[in-house]
Amino acid sequence: MSGVPELLVLRFLSAREMYGYQLAHAIRETTREAISLGEGVLYPALHAMESRGFLRARRRTVSGRTRVYYTITPRGQRRLNELSQEWRRIAGGVESVLAGT
Amino acid sequence: MPGGHFAGLSERLRRAGISPRRVRRLISELEAHFEDLVTELRLTGLSHAESESQAAIRLGTEDVLAASIIARPELRSWARRWPWLAFAVLPLLSLAVQFILSMAAAVAIFGFSVHTLEMTPLHPGPVPWICEALQAYALWVAPMVAAAVACYFAARYRASALWPVVGSILIAFLGAHTNASFQWSPALPKGAISAGIGFRFPDIGAAIGFRVLLTLVVILAPFLWARRREGDLRW
Repeated sequence: MSGVPELLVLRFLSAREMYGYQLAHAIRETTREAISLGEGVLYPALHAMESRGFLRARRRTVSGRTRVYYTITPRGQRRLNELSQEWRRIAGGVESVLAGT
Repeated sequence: MPGGHFAGLSERLRRAGISPRRVRRLISELEAHFEDLVTELRLTGLSHAESESQAAIRLGTEDVLAASIIARPELRSWARRWPWLAFAVLPLLSLAVQFILSMAAAVAIFGFSVHTLEMTPLHPGPVPWICEALQAYALWVAPMVAAAVACYFAARYRASALWPVVGSILIAFLGAHTNASFQWSPALPKGAISAGIGFRFPDIGAAIGFRVLLTLVVILAPFLWARRREGDLRW
């Protein structure tokens, strides 16, 4: 499960740019709270992905409030494809085991 | 979440080696997230105090936040990963750069005075005075500037005192043994300038001792005193 937060973040940001609160909200809503990330813990993950070149950050002021918006980079898109394949492989394997018991 | 809570987190992160710039951004993002959570929870009918309490729980405690950030080595500043480079070698190199820039400035000012201001040996303008000022800068001020840069950034990055102290001592000795000369002479037809930098080893005279002490007393002593006062004097 260690790559799941990274996979989710990259997946959401591949659709559109978001800031941290939006991202945490989207993860909570879409997974129907099945996956609960510590919301503050999201930021070191975002910064780490940015420093590895998977994300790009930019400041934007909307309605008088300055936010840091994140967007996926081509390198991040490749990482997303890798993680997605890996996740499908693992999930398929687990599914096979469950179906066979 | 009260601002004081984030102030504590900010200091913890800086002492752990996260760069001040990244800490500022993380704290501003956490503050904005906290405000958004409070707004969201208020809409559910909770009081302001209850909303703040719930928002703090959802965001995570200071210990959890600090641990999750410190656990990522890629978020540590390069200055804390290579403190010998940031607080000793680069400031030492900055001393050499200052000498070179001083020489370049002397030559440029002389060239400007001759070609643009049409200076003559009889009317040299401010050139002799500027040469003296540059010489004084190279001899007395440049080592202090280099040591001050090392100490300032070490304090800003909450680094241990070891490398800025080593860097400042090296700068003080190297700076004191450096002889800089910027001379203007009224040679015809337009005057002349000579600039040179050299070392005087192992001449340990009173003047050199004074120059070493000056850098150490003016820059290093206040740095160590301030770090000790803030309870952050680590080796």
